[in-house]
Amino acid sequence: MDLKMKVNHLPALTYRFLKSNDSEIDAKDLYIENTKTPDPLDIPEGVSVKSDASEDDIRDIFAKVNAKIEAKKTDIPGPNGDTAPLNDAQTVRTGMGVEIDKLMNEMNVKSLVITSEEGRKVTEPVHIKYDLKDGDCTLGSQVIYAKKDSEITVIMEYDSEPEGKGFLGLQTRLLAEEGAKINLVKVQMLSEGFIHFDDIGSVCDDNASVDTINMQLGAGNTWGGNRTALLGDASTFDNHTGYLCRNKQSYDMNYVADQMGKKTQSNMIFRGVLLDEAVKTFRGTLDFKAGSAGSVGDEQEDTLLLSPDVINRTMPVILCGEEDVDGRHGASIGQLGDDTLFYMESRGIDEEAAKKLMIRARMESIARMIPDEAIIVRIQQFIRTII
Amino acid sequence: MSENNKAVVDIDRSVYDIKDVENEQDFYRMEDGFTEDIVRKISEEKHDPEWMREFRLKSLKIYNELEMPDWGPDTDGLDMNLISSYVRSKSDMKGKWEDVPEDIKNTFERLGIPEAERESLAGVGAQYDSELVYHNVKDEVAAQGVVYTDMESALTGEYADMVHEYFMKLVPPTDHKYAALHGAVWSGGSFVYVPKGVKVDIPLQSYFRLNAAGAGQFEHTLIIVDEGADLHFIEGCSAPKYNVANLHAGCVELFVKKNARLRYSTIENWSKNMYNLNTKRALVEEGARMEWVSGSFGSHTSYLYPMTILKGDHSNMEYTGITFAGKGQNLDTGAKVIHQGKYTSSVISTKSISKSGGIGTYRSSVTINKEAKHAKTSVSCDSLMLDSISRADTIPGMDIRTNDADVGHEAKIGRISDEAVFYLMSRGLSEEDARALIVSGFANPVSKELPLEYAVEMNNLIKLEMSGG
Repeated sequence: MDLKMKVNHLPALTYRFLKSNDSEIDAKDLYIENTKTPDPLDIPEGVSVKSDASEDDIRDIFAKVNAKIEAKKTDIPGPNGDTAPLNDAQTVRTGMGVEIDKLMNEMNVKSLVITSEEGRKVTEPVHIKYDLKDGDCTLGSQVIYAKKDSEITVIMEYDSEPEGKGFLGLQTRLLAEEGAKINLVKVQMLSEGFIHFDDIGSVCDDNASVDTINMQLGAGNTWGGNRTALLGDASTFDNHTGYLCRNKQSYDMNYVADQMGKKTQSNMIFRGVLLDEAVKTFRGTLDFKAGSAGSVGDEQEDTLLLSPDVINRTMPVILCGEEDVDGRHGASIGQLGDDTLFYMESRGIDEEAAKKLMIRARMESIARMIPDEAIIVRIQQFIRTII
Repeated sequence: MSENNKAVVDIDRSVYDIKDVENEQDFYRMEDGFTEDIVRKISEEKHDPEWMREFRLKSLKIYNELEMPDWGPDTDGLDMNLISSYVRSKSDMKGKWEDVPEDIKNTFERLGIPEAERESLAGVGAQYDSELVYHNVKDEVAAQGVVYTDMESALTGEYADMVHEYFMKLVPPTDHKYAALHGAVWSGGSFVYVPKGVKVDIPLQSYFRLNAAGAGQFEHTLIIVDEGADLHFIEGCSAPKYNVANLHAGCVELFVKKNARLRYSTIENWSKNMYNLNTKRALVEEGARMEWVSGSFGSHTSYLYPMTILKGDHSNMEYTGITFAGKGQNLDTGAKVIHQGKYTSSVISTKSISKSGGIGTYRSSVTINKEAKHAKTSVSCDSLMLDSISRADTIPGMDIRTNDADVGHEAKIGRISDEAVFYLMSRGLSEEDARALIVSGFANPVSKELPLEYAVEMNNLIKLEMSGG
């Protein structure tokens, strides 16, 4: 099959010449033969797993929070160029948008549902690993459902044969009920012959939180989306993304925090490195909905550009329909500073070695947050191999 | 804090809202709409040279082919079939205020334009509806070789070739739908040429007044500041409020030559039935500097993003702007900059205030091209929400195509903190005064960039809003 679809819609459209209002996935001759998420490597106590859940099953899981989202809608108009209605048909609004739902539906992709029992704080992570071979074309859908006052950690790792070519498209939807916490780690180390998308959508009820860590290190073309509805009061969203793009790799992402409840908090950190002819587009939106009084949001982007041929696009959006909020965005984009280089060289580290050191330092500053030492070592090895 | 005290009413616009009755004896009004026939009539009225007539017709064709942007405020309330493209007084443009027709002169007197000219300006152009009614430049400035005249005179006079060379080269009609419309029906505006090395110590000002209901104003401003020269140009605008839509689709083209400097200041206070779809652009050459100071208070709907192209090496720009969106207003404003030359730098600093259901959107783009080595840019945008029925949105974009650039961006959205109000009240200020003081402080980075008289006017507008006066 050929894949041609518009994803990663900026929540509020802007000038067309920036070419950042959305992104097109254009992949030809995909033979998608696998739509089943691999079974977790281990299932800790307090966690249950259900395979082959239908979209109706998923709708049932999210029915209660979706009703609450509907009830929170106000008459305050959306921003100029509002694209929110595009994704109204989604079971859970995700970063990449409704086209991913359509694809999953069309390909009859069933979901793997991972549930943590009410009141259980599960410290041992659930591991899901994709180990892809040359020619693999795979779609997958997962739902992580943390019941009231529970906690769960899920680590998803995508790896492939070093010279392999193929396709991996995933959608992961999260529901954190009242007082629950979900930690989701995604580590992507596919070979450059792979096309990859990774779409996340979350809903947090009262006092619930979602923490995501995302390491994007491989694949030729990657699209990523992450949309979190902070529906409940005092709900929180934390995200740390690290990415390394080199050669002709591209990475297109769309992160959105919909802050709906009172006193919600979102904190999004992005650290990346672009080398060679890499292209990156970052969309990051803090959306303070009417009624989100007392909420705070912060997004910080730090991008190191290490080649004259890279392209970096950054769209840091703050939308606000509530008076009593505090929203901030900061971006720092550029090459290694002369002071840093001078410091390194004065300690006997030449420019090339200094660059490698800085790349590793940036990636490891995110990777070190992963609660699995073995994966951190694999990330370090992967980075060492490619640079 | 009570909700009543938080409430802020609309600006008292009595000075700006005075309407002059335009009767058929004294005024000529083109029929509504935008057709080839109307464009030909305008061209005929204005005795255009052949190339301009062709340019207008070509622009109209482009206008009819282009779509409205899908990203900005809604313009459904603007029915182009009900807009007259050309309204003018039957009196010619004058060089003395006493020769200007009484009712028009009175309007400008009330707006304080002749007084400002006497006290603090090097020259004034005053446009009423579609044509300039007054234009004058001080003798000592004219003696320096500074040309400041209306666009129509420039088009056929001594500077005709220069106008032909530069007119709508920076903002071509293909740029967007309303640039094309402007190309088709433009009328009025100013032409300024500052010769090499000439520094104009006091500002020039053009003031645009749109009095006629259901009319459009399409003035064209073309300024060329030659090598090493220096100019401050001020633009003001206002209109009385009607219950039908008015349209402003002006165009400003600024050419800042090698090592020159141009400051372009605007206080925009159109009435709240105005659709302000304006285009401004500057081309900045080697070592030159462009400064924008912009205050947007009026209009029902605004699309306004002055663009600076830093073409020459070591050229730089600074944009300082404030937008105040009140009840019924949707003001979508900001700035665009393109870094093309090496060692170029840009600083964009904006403030936005939203209240009483107003929508304030800050929108910008920073483009650093591959050739723009050692470029530096810093963007800072702060928004203040005064209630929970308004919107304040920040939509910046950056496209960086070289690693040899230093890019910084900061955005903040917040409210007036209760602690700050409490602190000022504990020092003896009333709550209203405390809030007004905080908002004035928020706007201070913009007002301090304006000439004193304009800063005072801006602060008065803010105080008036905050006190509910």
